[in-house]
Amino acid sequence: MKLTQQVLDLNWDEVKKRITRFIKDYVEKSKAKGIVLGLSGGVDSSTAAALSAMALGGDRVLGLMLPEKETYNPTDIKHAKLVAEKFGIKTALIDITSTLEALQKSIPIFDPEDKLCKGNLKARTRMLYLYYYANKLNLIVCGSSDKSEVMIGYFTKWGDAAADISPLMDLYKTQVRMLAKHIGVPEEIVNKPPSPTLWPGQTAEEEIGLKYDVLDLILYGLEHFMEVEEIAEQLGLQKDLVENVKKRWEAMEHKRRIPLTIKLQYRTVGFDFKLPLT
Amino acid sequence: MKQRFKVALAQISCKRGDKEANIRKIEEYAEEAHRHNADLVIFPELSLTGYMMGDELYRLAELIPGPSTAVIEEIAKKHKSFIIFGMPELSEKTQATLYNTAVLVGPRGFVGKYRKMHLPTHSVFEERRYFRPGYQVGAFDTELGKIGLIICYDLFFPEASRLTRLEGAKLIVCISASPAVRRNFFETLTAARAIENTAFLAYVNLVGIENGLQFWGGSRLIGPDGGILAIAKYDEEDLVIGEIDYADIAPVEAFVPTLKDLQPELFDKLKEKAETL
Repeated sequence: MKLTQQVLDLNWDEVKKRITRFIKDYVEKSKAKGIVLGLSGGVDSSTAAALSAMALGGDRVLGLMLPEKETYNPTDIKHAKLVAEKFGIKTALIDITSTLEALQKSIPIFDPEDKLCKGNLKARTRMLYLYYYANKLNLIVCGSSDKSEVMIGYFTKWGDAAADISPLMDLYKTQVRMLAKHIGVPEEIVNKPPSPTLWPGQTAEEEIGLKYDVLDLILYGLEHFMEVEEIAEQLGLQKDLVENVKKRWEAMEHKRRIPLTIKLQYRTVGFDFKLPLT
Repeated sequence: MKQRFKVALAQISCKRGDKEANIRKIEEYAEEAHRHNADLVIFPELSLTGYMMGDELYRLAELIPGPSTAVIEEIAKKHKSFIIFGMPELSEKTQATLYNTAVLVGPRGFVGKYRKMHLPTHSVFEERRYFRPGYQVGAFDTELGKIGLIICYDLFFPEASRLTRLEGAKLIVCISASPAVRRNFFETLTAARAIENTAFLAYVNLVGIENGLQFWGGSRLIGPDGGILAIAKYDEEDLVIGEIDYADIAPVEAFVPTLKDLQPELFDKLKEKAETL
């Protein structure tokens, strides 16, 4: 298998149809009124929002913009509004700063210097808002996680990846960009550097240490059972670098699963309860 | 025996786990097919219950013949037509041994059943977890000639359809629940199986989304030369009618005589090699 950008190129019209059909089917079968999702102004949430609007009509999609003081960026808000306007999505803007401050104050062991723990608190707080809206208004929470993030575990457990459906989760980041372009997400959003906005100035590629176009090909190779050596050779990378991505992918399995338990009885959640879902 | 007749490809989605609702849909489609003078109506794999049923299969499986086949037999009698559909079958000798089965009923009631031989248990498929493979070829004499039955993944194994042809089937029916990522394989293999057997092949796939799997539809009737005689929509429910004329087989068989040129000695070799793979 040749690891080139071409392997990531799909029939985007077909992908768009499949995802919109999936969203519509899930919402209908759940008897929910529509979709609620976090609208960050980034390419993933913009694409998820646009596809939800295409599936259900914009009036059944609610995008929550949930900024906070520390990472506040007017361009992100501008981009979120741009997408909402273009695809006819309803929005609500809620500043979560006071909630975060109250939370931080109430945690006896809170450490303001630990930016990861503090950042994760932000992602989990946003999840609380999304689920309140979903619960109250009978909406489905639509996640925006992509396959690259989920494979390497670059997300907050029970935070940004918490959702009822994640329609982009089988597309690598570079593929989400291609799909975004295809469905008309504004270029300035498609091309801006991705960030989980957990702390100021954070960018995904800097933190991961790889550009997404390279990371995605490594992950694609791993997905297709390719050996680390082969991937490294084809992409002209150090073997260690590919090995580290592989280790990270394997080590993060705990983030992708329902909590593990010890099997004690006849049929067990997460093991061998095989119930149909929608 | 009829030399010419119409076949209806009833490409439906299922209400998962709801046999009554699915039987109602089978009845509606059979009626519509009857209005088009179809003598045979074909429904997808596990169309009585839905495909991705997991542990629910134990509750849903029935004996064949049994209560659900009896209802479908009545529909067939009413329209004086043949119906093929799929359902989970409970073995008559055990309490929880299941088969993935295709059922053929006709104007005079139950005709026969075929238990799927090749059970996909890889990728997203878990069939072998629940089902025991069948060991018998499904080829049944009817007023529409001998009809061979295969199910979905059987299509990847030329010997499955070949056996029905060697039993005398001139129409091979493949009922299926194929998700969209596998469309290319099926579009190629359906034509291949028809050509290599110089037989008609009716392929009927499920549509709808079950557990994140989107079934692609695209049901089709293929002639003995590989030409598509009727094709249903992709991804949506549909009913299409195709016409079979067995007289069309002879000229193709003279042009590409695959059956005449079969070399039985190869099959011993195949068996030997397959055992030591």
